[in-house]
Amino acid sequence: MPVLELREITKVFPGVRANDRVSLVLERGEIVALLGENGAGKSTLMNVVYGLLAPDGGEILVDGKPVRIRTPREAIDLGIGMVHQHFMLVQTLTVTENIIMGHEPSRFGVIDFATARAKVRELSLRYGLKVDPGARVADLSVGMQQRVEILKALYQGARILILDEPTAVLSPQEVGELFGVVRSLVTEGLSVVLITHKLDEVMGAADRVVVMRDGRVVGETTPAKTDQVGLARMMVGRDVVLTVERTPARPGETVLEVRDLVVLDERRLEALKGVGLTVHAGEIVGIAGVDGNGQTQLVEAIVGLKRPQSGSISLRDKDITHAAPRATIHAGVSHVPEDRQRRGLVLEFDLAENLILGDQRDAPYARAGIMRTRVIDEAARKRIGDYDVRTPSIRVLAGNLSGGNQQKLVLAREMGRDPDLLVAAQPTRGLDVGAIEFVHRRILTERDGGKAVLLVSMELEEIMSLSDRILVMYEGRIAAEFAAGEADAERIGFFMTGGSKKDHAPAPQAGTAVAGGGGL
Amino acid sequence: MWLSFLTPDLFASAIRMATPLALAAIGGTICERSGVVNIALEGMMLVGAFFGVVVTLATGNVWLGVVAAIVAGVLLSAIHAFASVTLRMDQVVSGTALNILALGLTGFLMEVIYGHPGATNGIAHKIGPVFNFPTGGTGVLATIWSWVDQIVFSYTPIVYVAIIIAIVAQWAMYRTRWGLRLRALGEHPRAADTVGVRVQAGRYVAVLISGALGGLAGANLTLEQVGVFSDNMTSGRGFIALAANIFGRWTPVGSYLASLLFGFAEAIEIRMQSFQQGNQIPVQFFLMLPYVLVVIVLAGFMGRAVGPAAIGKPYEKE
Amino acid sequence: MSETHEAPVVRENLWMKVLRTAGVPLLSVVLAMAIGSIIIAASGKDPVLAFGALLKGAFGSPEQWQIGNFRAFGDTISRATPLAFAGLAIAFGFRANLFNIGANGQLLLGAVTAAFLGLVLGGQPTWVAIPLILIGAALAGAAWAFIPAILKAKVGAHEVITTMMFSWIALYLTSWIISGPLKDAAGNSQTPMLPQAVWLPTMDQLLPAVFRTPVRAHLGFIIAVGLAVLVWWILKKTTLGYGVRAVGFNQWAAQNGGISIAITTVYALCISGALAGLAGASEVLGVQHRMFDEVSAGSGFGFTGIAVALLAKNHPIAVIFSAILFGALSAGAGMMQLTANVPDKIIMIVQALIIFFVGAETVITWFIKRRQKLALEREGDSDVA
Repeated sequence: MPVLELREITKVFPGVRANDRVSLVLERGEIVALLGENGAGKSTLMNVVYGLLAPDGGEILVDGKPVRIRTPREAIDLGIGMVHQHFMLVQTLTVTENIIMGHEPSRFGVIDFATARAKVRELSLRYGLKVDPGARVADLSVGMQQRVEILKALYQGARILILDEPTAVLSPQEVGELFGVVRSLVTEGLSVVLITHKLDEVMGAADRVVVMRDGRVVGETTPAKTDQVGLARMMVGRDVVLTVERTPARPGETVLEVRDLVVLDERRLEALKGVGLTVHAGEIVGIAGVDGNGQTQLVEAIVGLKRPQSGSISLRDKDITHAAPRATIHAGVSHVPEDRQRRGLVLEFDLAENLILGDQRDAPYARAGIMRTRVIDEAARKRIGDYDVRTPSIRVLAGNLSGGNQQKLVLAREMGRDPDLLVAAQPTRGLDVGAIEFVHRRILTERDGGKAVLLVSMELEEIMSLSDRILVMYEGRIAAEFAAGEADAERIGFFMTGGSKKDHAPAPQAGTAVAGGGGL
Repeated sequence: MWLSFLTPDLFASAIRMATPLALAAIGGTICERSGVVNIALEGMMLVGAFFGVVVTLATGNVWLGVVAAIVAGVLLSAIHAFASVTLRMDQVVSGTALNILALGLTGFLMEVIYGHPGATNGIAHKIGPVFNFPTGGTGVLATIWSWVDQIVFSYTPIVYVAIIIAIVAQWAMYRTRWGLRLRALGEHPRAADTVGVRVQAGRYVAVLISGALGGLAGANLTLEQVGVFSDNMTSGRGFIALAANIFGRWTPVGSYLASLLFGFAEAIEIRMQSFQQGNQIPVQFFLMLPYVLVVIVLAGFMGRAVGPAAIGKPYEKE
Repeated sequence: MSETHEAPVVRENLWMKVLRTAGVPLLSVVLAMAIGSIIIAASGKDPVLAFGALLKGAFGSPEQWQIGNFRAFGDTISRATPLAFAGLAIAFGFRANLFNIGANGQLLLGAVTAAFLGLVLGGQPTWVAIPLILIGAALAGAAWAFIPAILKAKVGAHEVITTMMFSWIALYLTSWIISGPLKDAAGNSQTPMLPQAVWLPTMDQLLPAVFRTPVRAHLGFIIAVGLAVLVWWILKKTTLGYGVRAVGFNQWAAQNGGISIAITTVYALCISGALAGLAGASEVLGVQHRMFDEVSAGSGFGFTGIAVALLAKNHPIAVIFSAILFGALSAGAGMMQLTANVPDKIIMIVQALIIFFVGAETVITWFIKRRQKLALEREGDSDVA
């Protein structure tokens, strides 16, 4: 008897069927991968199972019995646990506090912290998930936080574990460890649903694959019976070119030069501990690294959002170390921010207004402090055409566009400015394959047009397929540098998690310098 | 001259003045920890102060007046909870509306009930001190005893209650299930939701508690301190309490101590008014003092204060 | 399914737009009045009599209009004038996501500055004196907002607390000024009467053909209307307005676009303060012709300005209409108290209720919009693929 069975689950949002009669079976001790693009309906389905969304139709069976799951609490009581893509951890609380919340061992409402800590320790020993029960979650690395999430589910008595895009923020080594843990959970009798859009994970970790597209299940297979190309075709519905076509770079003069850069984070700790790098015209330099190793601060310092503590940044020999965003824009820096809805766009502005953000005070859009609406609208119409932003009018609010179209809008603005340097952070986060291809092509076009491009991404595959040089960041330093084609995921991943030359690492080969102003 | 200024009853006066601020500030702390901003503390104090007097006058029982004050605060806060939690209205706008409502309602009812604007009738007997130890006599011991009596034993009941509430709330916030969940609600409500904590219910409780404390603060003002209600008599204390909550880093004991600082300013203000010979310094400059101090404290401290991450954001299930 | 979905933009003409945006605020007003009536009835008074008196007090009667007597309506406009300035002040702050809850303080500083400059410049020709006084009052209001603005920009001290504290400080400061340095010859706590040269002319002086009997409405209202248009234009057509709106909607994106949050905050709060200062000046120059204690006591126009701005959804032009409504409530309240014996404080209750209903409405529309957006998002995504 399956531990979990979904029969014809339907979930309708106004105007769209997010899940259309989706059925799924999970057997005890099995890892099922739920594969699909962003927006295919995977997370919706699992949120229904976890009681976060009410289904409009269909049936859920746990251990063969039909159940109604209206709240997460009811899901937890049925033995269903979920590790969300964005961790559900309270940063200011301790590991123990986070794990026990909702099921606190207590007497008359007073928490028995001694028992709580002991339980957390016991669980962490049993499953090999080492964490410090007294540590504040905010002080933990992303990988550690994920362990806390898994422990939390186990503490609540989960027999069915749903992992929503669990590898998005991990290094290849951490991914390996995670799947090790998942394997050991399965041998202990748990069952796992792995939500992902990454083909290699499916091939490596899953027993069975269920593929979703546009809210429907479009196929089911096992890794043994297919390959990545086949899976991709099922997922997208057409043949997908998995590699980006590109010509070799012809790097020109130095455009960006960063030296010994030290930047503090919000807690006034050194997020960058002496970073040095250069980007030349006509090349893409990719920054690889696990989230939270200083990439955000590096980008913010270059574009002027963050003031460096020491060190220098120059653009074509012009010092922009302490320049504010307006000055860096004038100097020729364009920025595709990692969070387009927060940093990239004013969602309440219409498209025309968004397309001049950054140039709003400059000719030809303004004269003597007065905006020139006609010029602005004309430019907006042109750019929307150039970058294929799908919209009925330039008067539509940016917040009403889809994620892919919002990103095209940001690209239209930032690339349309004809910058010397394009800083692109997570440019394809949350986009579907079609939009990803578009963004990648545009970035390569920029490079071929002689721009310098600094690309920051958590997606190692993206870094490897686009970059002419790859820098690996770890704990605020450049840990390694590779030329295009020289590095494989294994070697880059090794440096992403703190490996250094001194360890018995796969030694970097000829032509691969270990760079970084601060050194190792 | 300046030494004789620092008498024991100045400290006692500071503790008395701090009491309404502290109660409201602790209410603000609990409310904001749950993720709801409460700028309607001012209004909650005002209705508490008003209905405390009304019920005391009507029944002749000052303790019923205290209960009425608390109930009034809770009722007003229930509107705030409904607006900001259920309707997901802008919490600052809701708070503003409630402050205006409290001002209008107390003024309106005052005229309807007592037939004249400005102030209510006075209550016959304010709530007296809890202890009445004999003092007097001469000698060092007697003097020390009279100091101890003034600083420790001279207060009315709500003054002691405020101190107890500060300590109990602090303990509850860090040691109980309620406290753990409360702290989670204001930081990451969705995380709390996903482990089965009921976010909206938790926020309702927190807002209602702040209303009860605001009402009690109002009772302290009219039933223990002044004995009569007059228009807008809270004079911005609800906002000072919010500042005390921030200065106290969103903790109950911290809020109490910060309120003590502002209470001290008020005590000094009152003392200086009566202390100066003649009128060299206009009275208005003394009256400004507490407000100026709040601004100075916020200016010097604010950069380092970090409030709950999800404060002011309505929670919505997917 | 993506082929069939319609474009989200529906063309509508101006009137449809006005009706759609103004419908709910008007409904809020009606609802608030209805609850106000219930409260009046519950307190044992006659709500029909009360609101009848209120209307008469606010707008007068047809018999009066026929003989060109617009005294009542003039009162409404004269009350609406400072409310319009204060409403504009608060709306402007809101557009930058700043809540100038202490506008009353800036208003008092504007008022006392106007009184002082009126006394000083009384000998100058009107067309020199009045502009100078108004500029001075605006600057005083701006200056009073400057410290809260700097504290917000530099250390993040919340403007709700700081402007409120400054409002109380202003109350005592102005109280001292008019009972000390500026007190009148008799030693009362009020400034001397200002020379007539600096009085803002009343409507009957400006338009004797229409207003055949004296009215309190004065030039200040025309200035307020002009300023509303100016503020609208600034928000819509200037780079300053663009920056204010960008910071108000999304300060992170604004910052990324080279707009300084700190500088915009200071600008916006000081402009808000200047507008509030004008509210005080117009009251002193247009109605009271001196500043006395009663003006500075009480909750004042700054507070009502919040309701004015919220009801107008922070749109400068709508602020004028919203101000007239609240002006009418305020002007009619006296007649209501006189005729129906209903305390004028009922107006504050109605005010609070209006804020509530308007606030709740915003929530509802926001929710509908959001759901539409979600739907659009999903369909849009499948478009791209």
